[in-house]
Amino acid sequence: MSFQNLSIRRKLTLITMLTSSIALLLSSASFLIYDLISFRHLLTEDLTTQAEIIGYNSAAAMAFKDEPAATATLSALRVKGDIVAAVLYSPDGTMFAQYFSNDNTLPTFLPSRSQEEGYRFKGRYLEVWHEVTLNGEPLGTLFLQSDMRQWSTRAKRYAGICLGFVLISGFFAFLVSAKLQRVISGPIVHLEDTVRMVSATKNYEVRAVKSYSDEIGSLIDGFNTMLSDIQQRDTALRGANDELQTRTQELEQEISHRKQAQEELLKAKYVAEEASRAKSTFLANMSHELRTPLNAIIGYSEMLEEEAQDSGTEAAVQDLQKIKSAGKHLLALINDVLDLSKIEAGKMSLHLEMFDVSGMIEEIVTTLQPAIEKNKNTLRVRLAEDVGMMRADITKVRQILFNLLSNACKFTDHGTISVDVDQRTVEGLAWLRFRVTDSGIGISAKQQTNLFQEFAQADTSIARKYGGTGLGLAITHRFVQLMKGRIEVESQPGEGSMFTVHIPAQVTPETVGPTATEGSSDASDAIADMQTGRDTILVIDDDAAVRELMTRFLMKLGFSVLTVANGEEGVRLAKQVHPVLITLDVVMPECDGWTILSKLKADPELSKVPVIMVTIVDNEAKGFDLGASNYLIKPVDRERLAVLIEKHRITRSKAITGIDTVSKSFLSHDNKRGEVGAEASEKVSHAENLAGRR
Amino acid sequence: MPKILLVEDNEMNRDMLSRRLERRGHSVVMAHDGEQGLLLAGTEMPDLILMDISLPIMDGCEVTRRLKADKRTRHIPVIALTAHALVTDRVKAIGAGCDDYDTKPIEFSRLSEKIHNCLAEKKAL
Repeated sequence: MSFQNLSIRRKLTLITMLTSSIALLLSSASFLIYDLISFRHLLTEDLTTQAEIIGYNSAAAMAFKDEPAATATLSALRVKGDIVAAVLYSPDGTMFAQYFSNDNTLPTFLPSRSQEEGYRFKGRYLEVWHEVTLNGEPLGTLFLQSDMRQWSTRAKRYAGICLGFVLISGFFAFLVSAKLQRVISGPIVHLEDTVRMVSATKNYEVRAVKSYSDEIGSLIDGFNTMLSDIQQRDTALRGANDELQTRTQELEQEISHRKQAQEELLKAKYVAEEASRAKSTFLANMSHELRTPLNAIIGYSEMLEEEAQDSGTEAAVQDLQKIKSAGKHLLALINDVLDLSKIEAGKMSLHLEMFDVSGMIEEIVTTLQPAIEKNKNTLRVRLAEDVGMMRADITKVRQILFNLLSNACKFTDHGTISVDVDQRTVEGLAWLRFRVTDSGIGISAKQQTNLFQEFAQADTSIARKYGGTGLGLAITHRFVQLMKGRIEVESQPGEGSMFTVHIPAQVTPETVGPTATEGSSDASDAIADMQTGRDTILVIDDDAAVRELMTRFLMKLGFSVLTVANGEEGVRLAKQVHPVLITLDVVMPECDGWTILSKLKADPELSKVPVIMVTIVDNEAKGFDLGASNYLIKPVDRERLAVLIEKHRITRSKAITGIDTVSKSFLSHDNKRGEVGAEASEKVSHAENLAGRR
Repeated sequence: MPKILLVEDNEMNRDMLSRRLERRGHSVVMAHDGEQGLLLAGTEMPDLILMDISLPIMDGCEVTRRLKADKRTRHIPVIALTAHALVTDRVKAIGAGCDDYDTKPIEFSRLSEKIHNCLAEKKAL
């Protein structure tokens, strides 16, 4: 454990001890050094004095060259234990007499020649050189060597004493510091204990006790202040927490209440929707049930009318006509109710097709002629030049205009009714605008507000006077909405009314579902259809409009349709796709239908595929001779076509197994077929684009 | 005088239609359910059958299917009469083998035309 990590108590003790010991050691050492230095000085002086005495005593012997006397003089040094060696040198520098202490018989070395007077320390030894003179005349040199035994003994003893003193004083220092460090470490340890306890128990009510007013004291004060702050915050936080919890619980309750309410609402919505559906279904069924007896009423009255006319009972004819017209009115009512219930049940779907607007208008006018004449009204029809074909549900457009026009006839007497049709482009989309204006009784602003609501005829008195179901405009409105169009009305009471209907020139299917695929005749779609089990019919016709119409019609019958403009391509495609049926035009550029028919019938793979000729050329015999199954003259009677196709379907289903094998074998060549199919369908989709899918 | 078999369960419709057909010079045989219709088609060998689709005991589609499966009766044209103005019902009727169809309420002139066409077509074959 390093010093830094020691407890503060140990640190304090150690610091105190270290400080006092170092001070003690330093002072002891300085005393010791001083003493040893002065003692050495003393020793030097002493040895020098000895050398003087010995020199003096041996001067005579030197003078007389009496070596034994000199040696004897030197031997007197034996009493001085510390003198290891003594040598007398002649003036010429040679050794004259010498002495060695017993225990030190062999000095490490002796200088061979005399040296200058003085003393010098050499290692453990002190050497003194002294010139021996007699009456001022130099006789030689004396050399004394001391091992400073006294000095080293003294040094050892002094060091021992110092050490002992240091140890004893250190011990006392330890005792004292151990006692005194508590003054500092005590409060800190106490603070530490308090901190530990607070953090362990989270009890912020505990306070550290302040012992002294020093820095630690203020630290403890600060700590206590902090604790009380924390305590306050803790209390506040706990309160906030409690409140939060209560709020959360309240919220959870609220949420579960809402969820429950939502579920109940959903349930209620579901029930309501179910009820609405049930109502609509009931209405639909009811309408059917009502129709049966009504048909009998109308039928019998019609029959009786014929019989009465034959027998000439004119009065009965008129009454029977009244019954018949009342019955027909009732039937119209029921049909309206059925339409509405279908719309509400979401069962009303769009059957989109291309049709000629002017033809449709003409048809409506013809039908309405009696109604127009009834109130002596005049009808004016204005068709803008650019109005040609439109793609919509013809029956619904017809009914919309029929409803508006019959209303106009009904509420106008000796007046003018006009129909204006034009085409306009709004934000890149072509719209057809049908406007029916009359000079009739008009509609007040108040009546206009719920004009398009079911059973909301402008006035109950109107129903009595003019009749009507009150459903016509509601149905009209719904039909317009279904085709993503809109209807507007402008009217002043007594000044006539103007109804304007806007319908896209190209109505798109209302949902992305089966109807949405109606628009595409891609080979890939046909392939997908084949895999889902739909049969493919190949339409060969150079007229894009015919291809389009046939595609829609055949798709409605549940077929997948491939169209191609070129006869040769048609044969190639037929080989790949193996359609269940082929419709073939006769007049085509490049290669006429007769040639194609012969080719189809000559091909062993295709000879069994029924071919229906669809053409303007009236040469049935030639068609049958070449192997055509049926012959239809344009314009095509669709119902007839449907019947024929259905017949072939039945014949085919009896021999289905054979054809299935063929379609399976064809499925393995999908790359090639895909390319050709795409080419073939390109023209159709291009025609669609041109027709205004912008 | 062409003979027409009228298979119709509703008495009033049957009565009315038969009388009107007779007035136009047809001879009419009547059946009030599918089973009887099937039976009479075999014994009477009519020139044409008017077949209501929703019939008791055996529905019109089934009767037609059986008639068309039988060699003896296969050639007799069948016109389906359906009360439902839905395309799917027409397709179902055609699918069963009916040669043509007409929807109720019967508009007599329209039906007359269809009967005439069917009989003419039969004669041509």
